[in-house]
Amino acid sequence: MDHSKLKPYVMILPVVLLMGVFIYSLLNTLIQSFGILPAAGLNKWTLSYYQAVLSRGDLFPSLQLSLYYSLVSSILAVILGVLMSALAVSSGFTRKKLFQIFKVPIIVPHLVAALLILNLFSQSGIISRVLYQLNWVQSPQQFPSVLFDSHALGIILAYLWKEVPFVILMVVTIMEKIDGSIGEAAVNLGASKFKTFYSITLPLCLPTIYTSFLLVFAYSFGAFEIPFLLGMTSPKALPVLAYVEFTYPDLSHRPYAMALNGIMVVLSVMLTYIYYRIFKKGQKAKAGEDYQ
Amino acid sequence: MKTINNLVSKVLPKTILYTALLSVLLPLGVLLIWSFAGSWPWPNLLPKTFSFRVMGELFGGYSGALQVLFSSILISLAVALVSILISIPAARAIALYDFWGKDFLEFITLLPVIVPVTAFAMGTQILFIRLNLSDTVLGVILVHIILCLPYTMKILTEVTKATGTKMECQALVLGATPFQTFRYVTLPLLMPGIIAAASMAYIISFSQYFLTFLVGGGNIITFSMFMFPYIQSGDRTISSGYSILFIATSLLVFILFETLMKKYYHVEEVYFFN
Repeated sequence: MDHSKLKPYVMILPVVLLMGVFIYSLLNTLIQSFGILPAAGLNKWTLSYYQAVLSRGDLFPSLQLSLYYSLVSSILAVILGVLMSALAVSSGFTRKKLFQIFKVPIIVPHLVAALLILNLFSQSGIISRVLYQLNWVQSPQQFPSVLFDSHALGIILAYLWKEVPFVILMVVTIMEKIDGSIGEAAVNLGASKFKTFYSITLPLCLPTIYTSFLLVFAYSFGAFEIPFLLGMTSPKALPVLAYVEFTYPDLSHRPYAMALNGIMVVLSVMLTYIYYRIFKKGQKAKAGEDYQ
Repeated sequence: MKTINNLVSKVLPKTILYTALLSVLLPLGVLLIWSFAGSWPWPNLLPKTFSFRVMGELFGGYSGALQVLFSSILISLAVALVSILISIPAARAIALYDFWGKDFLEFITLLPVIVPVTAFAMGTQILFIRLNLSDTVLGVILVHIILCLPYTMKILTEVTKATGTKMECQALVLGATPFQTFRYVTLPLLMPGIIAAASMAYIISFSQYFLTFLVGGGNIITFSMFMFPYIQSGDRTISSGYSILFIATSLLVFILFETLMKKYYHVEEVYFFN
């Protein structure tokens, strides 16, 4: 074989090996979900764990809850993030030192984001104290319990605090580049600033906006910390439910946890695949390919 | 009319942006106050008494917080370093070479951020027990790197694509050895991307709770794991104090990254994403 043909394979080798570990682990999860777990004496392929999991009463409320807070938080995060980016780019705010503050939430872990929300929104939190000073509530119990309720407001707020800045940082760089070159040309040719943004800058930013949505949605759908710390005891979010089943002392119970994981994996990979198809197609069709 | 225009185009965007900044900073301010609060009964807006309980826990010795913090930083630094080292050549292969399976590799390296971390973490168990990696630092570092690769690969691929090979060709034509070309041309050109990717990898590893907990089996304690029970049990003062410490440490590490790199490579622009 030609020596130079081998070169890229050598270059990617360590990454491929680690991805191999990742894929292998994932397959392990899936295989166990079909009832193959020799360590627990389970050797027969079966769909019964999926059947059992799908027919339990708390699966659909859990799935609904997870989809609900991850969709709401990521849609809101993308809308707010794009809006902030547009405002920051058009007003020159991105060049200010203050803009760097948007980087701070990136380094704050999700469990601390949960703590921030607890400090603010719990019944004895700062907001309820401010409302007392304004004479709106007389006791902590009068403050509506926005945390641990069925609207998952605490979970959504915690994700928003983390994700809006994430979207801003992803989108703002690309938006600035486009606005600086093509946007200026359009304005010179007589388009209004708003029209330029809406019909030129925004469409060219769309691939990045989609990517940021995908990242944010996939993360919040599969993450454990925030729903564990800020969620209700019932229904539990899917990752929390999977963990509870995983910690069951009897090893032969393990496939139930894995079946829950399997459902999550199928949903998230399906979404990514759809995204990947749309994105790759869109990228080829777009005139703004240079900006990728 | 002019004033209204002015209001819409100048004042309104500023107000919205400053509100956004405030909603980022305000919760952190409350966190800072909580970390020094002694007693802070409802409905006081400020603590009644201040205390340095966090400092006591931190330097008192029996909690071991400082040790955990220190080893946690080392783990995350190792993760950042290895992620960068293996991503630079792989990103170069993707950006500049054509090879069979390239699209597939790109798709696969995206997966760790897409697939729920619970599914990956629980699947590692049997493999890691077999490889003697469960409950070890090496195992924890390994799974952290896997989680960082989507980001380091993406950032470094983009930077490599953007810089291309023109400068390297010039250096080679002018008689530089391949090593010199890499050391004095390629590396400085990649440096902004390397810093961004290293910072990202560091923070992903440093923040990781669930994966560390499952793979480390409670044997390997990182600072995130150390903080978790305090947040869960509602000890506001201690958990806020440790959170502040967490954030301050990460900032310090980032500033260190940037100044070191700037000193050696005269990089002006340092960026987080893209």
